[in-house]
Amino acid sequence: MKSKRIFAILKLQYKNLIRSPAPLSIILILPIVLTLIFSLMFGSVIIEDLGKSVFEVLVPGLYAFSALFMAIPVALSFSEDREQGLLKRINTTPTTATEFIGSHLLSNVTMSIIQVAIIAVLTFLMGYRGSVEGTVFAFVLMVIFSMSTIGFGLITATIAKSAKAAGGIIQIFVLPQQMLASGLYPLPSEAKAVSMFMPLHYVSDALTLLSNGVPLNDLRIWGDMFILIIFSLVIISIGILLFKKYSKV
Amino acid sequence: MLNSKNLDLLGSEKVFVSYNQNTIEIKNLRKIYTGKKVIEEVKAVDGISFSIKNGEIFGLLGPNGAGKTTIINILCGLVNQTEGDAFIGGYDVKKNLRKIKELIGVCPQQAAVYQYLSAKENIEFFGKLHLMDDQEIKDRSKEFLELLGLSDASDKKAKKYSGGMLRQLNLIIALISDPPILFLDEPTVGMDPRVRRRTWKFISSLKESNKTVVLTTHYIEEAEELCDRVAIIDYGKLIAIGSPKDLIREHRAKDLEEVFLKITGRRIMEGV
Repeated sequence: MKSKRIFAILKLQYKNLIRSPAPLSIILILPIVLTLIFSLMFGSVIIEDLGKSVFEVLVPGLYAFSALFMAIPVALSFSEDREQGLLKRINTTPTTATEFIGSHLLSNVTMSIIQVAIIAVLTFLMGYRGSVEGTVFAFVLMVIFSMSTIGFGLITATIAKSAKAAGGIIQIFVLPQQMLASGLYPLPSEAKAVSMFMPLHYVSDALTLLSNGVPLNDLRIWGDMFILIIFSLVIISIGILLFKKYSKV
Repeated sequence: MLNSKNLDLLGSEKVFVSYNQNTIEIKNLRKIYTGKKVIEEVKAVDGISFSIKNGEIFGLLGPNGAGKTTIINILCGLVNQTEGDAFIGGYDVKKNLRKIKELIGVCPQQAAVYQYLSAKENIEFFGKLHLMDDQEIKDRSKEFLELLGLSDASDKKAKKYSGGMLRQLNLIIALISDPPILFLDEPTVGMDPRVRRRTWKFISSLKESNKTVVLTTHYIEEAEELCDRVAIIDYGKLIAIGSPKDLIREHRAKDLEEVFLKITGRRIMEGV
């Protein structure tokens, strides 16, 4: 694995993000807008049983929701590159699949860290007082979950025949998790049971536990993290295998 | 001539070709496409054998769908052959693809460049994938951009380029790593006659640096102007091979188009 190649692909990814308004808005502007809207709308609505505002209850979901949307630019980027013959071209260079996919993973991890930082700062400014360990744990969870988003992106890019199609197909992975597993919506127990088959459930569940004052050494939190790691490894492995087999990089 | 770069890349594992030895060799190559979506099996390449010497500009000439691009895709490792063998610099494409990728530069038929990057940035990116130094990339890209008349537009984003400019950038990217072997798949399609002439001159000049060039084309004039030898391909089969002059003389034709017509009863451009 050559660091020069990895840095070159990373630089390319960042340039793509900076110069393409759609992915940039999904990755950076969406969490800002959501945080502001939720804090302004629900900051003063108090849930008496919990002694917290609705906004405070929703903060863990904000992290999960924003991280989930990272799958969209990933799917679009892989599909566009394939459509334009760029993946084939890269495949004629000595670049290995590990270097290529590893660079995308690194770029996604960086973006996830930026997202978490944005949400942490903004929610703090809007009055949310989460624990330090909770915020640090959010960083770790986002990094792990970014493997899943890369996996969803790769699976979508493998199925989709064009970038336009990828924009629709990725919703198969995004919408159900957004509705059932982000923790932003109140759900019946049946729906909660379904959400246990989705990796995002374990992100929002762990963050909600921490937000509710459960200590970091609680087994439920580490159980969530363990299951998330397993999910993420399986999803990214499926993504890499499919993509390598059918997309030739 | 053997340059130091070739030696470095191949190391002690393989002694690279000397002049007139076969740089590329394919033996009884077949590619048959089958699958759920293909009702009948398609023989894209049907038992082709030939060899290409070091420093030669070798043309694959034939109508669209003849199998030219499939041959190049097999040699670059993008497609696996169904049967037969293919060797580049003595390396088997089935076993030593990593080594082969260090020796080749590929100019694909579709102008594969990042639209949101400038020409310089595109060249730099692909140079880095070949582990080139910044200064080396800068020097070589400056030279190529000047030679192909793209210097003034080198900082513009590729999305603002005309089709012809994109094709030229496509070619520069293939050359940036100074590979000893080049695959140019229809490199001048979509260029206006003036730019095409300039590109031909540029491709011809590659002979001076002893590069082996495999060029696919359906332009008769391009094959006659550039190629030391051509292989005429039709329906995946090799129907003639030789220097353009020899082929024209042997078939008592006025050009390669007539050679193709005399052998197949069709014109090359009919399928285009």
